[in-house]
Amino acid sequence: MSILRGRAWVFGNNVDTDQILPGYAMAEEVANLPKFAMAGSSVPDFAAKVQEGDIIIAGKNFGCGSSREQAPVALKGAGVGLVIAGSFARIFRRNAINIGLPVLVAETAGHIQSGDIIEANLETGEIILKDAVLKGKPLSANTLETIRAGGLINRVRQELGVN
Amino acid sequence: MNFIERYLAKAAGLDSVQPGQDIRCKVDLTMAHDVTAPMAVEQFEQIGVSRVFDRNKIVFVIDHIFPAATVQARNAYWKMKDFAAKYGIVFYEKGEGVCHQLLAERHRLQPGQILIGADSHTCTAGAYGAIGIGVGSTELAAAMATGTIDLEVPEVMQIYVTGKPAAFVCGKDVILTLIKRFGTDGLTDKAVVFTGPGIQTLSDEDRMTICNMGIEAGAMIACFGGSELEAEVAETVPLALETLVPVVACPHSPANVKPASELEDIAVTQVVVGSCTNGRLGDFKRVVDVLKFHKVHPDVNLLLIPASKTILGEMEKLGWCEILRNAGAVITNPGCGPCFGAHQGLAAERDTVLSTTNRNFLGRMGHRNAKIYLASPATAAETAVRGVITAPGTLPAGGKEA
Ligand code: SF4
Repeated sequence: MSILRGRAWVFGNNVDTDQILPGYAMAEEVANLPKFAMAGSSVPDFAAKVQEGDIIIAGKNFGCGSSREQAPVALKGAGVGLVIAGSFARIFRRNAINIGLPVLVAETAGHIQSGDIIEANLETGEIILKDAVLKGKPLSANTLETIRAGGLINRVRQELGVN
Repeated sequence: MNFIERYLAKAAGLDSVQPGQDIRCKVDLTMAHDVTAPMAVEQFEQIGVSRVFDRNKIVFVIDHIFPAATVQARNAYWKMKDFAAKYGIVFYEKGEGVCHQLLAERHRLQPGQILIGADSHTCTAGAYGAIGIGVGSTELAAAMATGTIDLEVPEVMQIYVTGKPAAFVCGKDVILTLIKRFGTDGLTDKAVVFTGPGIQTLSDEDRMTICNMGIEAGAMIACFGGSELEAEVAETVPLALETLVPVVACPHSPANVKPASELEDIAVTQVVVGSCTNGRLGDFKRVVDVLKFHKVHPDVNLLLIPASKTILGEMEKLGWCEILRNAGAVITNPGCGPCFGAHQGLAAERDTVLSTTNRNFLGRMGHRNAKIYLASPATAAETAVRGVITAPGTLPAGGKEA
């Protein structure tokens, strides 16, 4: 669970929530959201090409803009297994973790190309490439617990003893 | 500890906290609106508890699309209505105003209170010393069930304020100037606090405008403290209010800020004064002061959107609505209006909008090619009269433009 492996898709800085999930897709049912994943980005056909477990790599301030939780929901639904970025906008990062989509903070500029197969350890923050190991920021114990539970709702259910 | 840490420690039931520490805090108030509440309701139902943590501490507001502009918006209303009826929570459903304004007007915000809102501008509450934190729908649903939230204690960036702003410099100019300085992610995950003798010259309304846009620099919390310097903070930046000038954020970023005086040949087709950022009485006073003597330019729509029914009522009592309408302005019902591009004044490809709202991202108010400039109500008022971006104080008061 804490080691994830997948194919990389590389994006730039300031990928805002409109690029991740354009405003016009907000009217869609939750089940349809994955079809619009990254539709406003530099890879508009991302949703058609992404495979289960793929990893998004980005620069700074990923997920800036609105607090729409539908943005990480669309990525997760499309199969994205992890997002690695230089930094995240706070609300996006929390939304992603809360719905069970892991995110890792790491500087990867110039080290990873789209299509590379990479491996990331959420506990240590290490990112293992073919010929290098990058050091990211390990997830906090609290965040790991939420990810392991499969998201905040499951975690709250466990903590409240609801079943 | 600084005051943010003291507030958070108290809410967590701890003697002390430090930056980076994970804590679980009690929440004093939670809020969601017609865009974020429907998903929060679904997530709450997934949890499967039979009651909310405290029905008096959960506030739902219909403000983003009221009256409903689409069937979907009306369905959001029904989802919230059913939830409100089932759990007995507080529900503003008749266009009472924008969520952040209603929290300030009707829920007596207090220093140190923990307020969780499913809206990124929840930080507005920091004008009253409250800790307002914007979250997504799932986190709000969890807080509605448990009455707690897990937080990481933020580093504190202190803005130490001195002096007094010049006559036409507004709270909006203060915060836009700071966003330019820090950039749109310069305060990510941090708390920004305002202290120093200069804060005494800023009204509650100015403080709301300033805290409101803290999120535009990525801040987790924006909050006013006292006149004294806080010692134990990560960083302190001095701000001398008398050095500020009226500024405008140019397309397509709130950090793309320039002095209004450098933008004077740019023609506008629509001017918007309103929103949770600048839709209060003092903001409309700036507009009335100008429209008492001047008419809105024939090529400009001037849309005025009061942030609450209470504010609109005051405007009526003062006789302002008549003055504003006679000068050519349109006053809409209280709410979010066209701020996030859902209804009541969208911009087309050919439009250039000058707005007192908080975001000028690509496509925020309609078409992607529409240009959006952000400025204070004082700048907006004179711009609406001249039809080109105008630094406030340009028009003669008490007479017609030559
Ligand atoms: S007025 Fe604008 S920024 Fe404020 S809550 Fe409404 S849509 Fe959001």
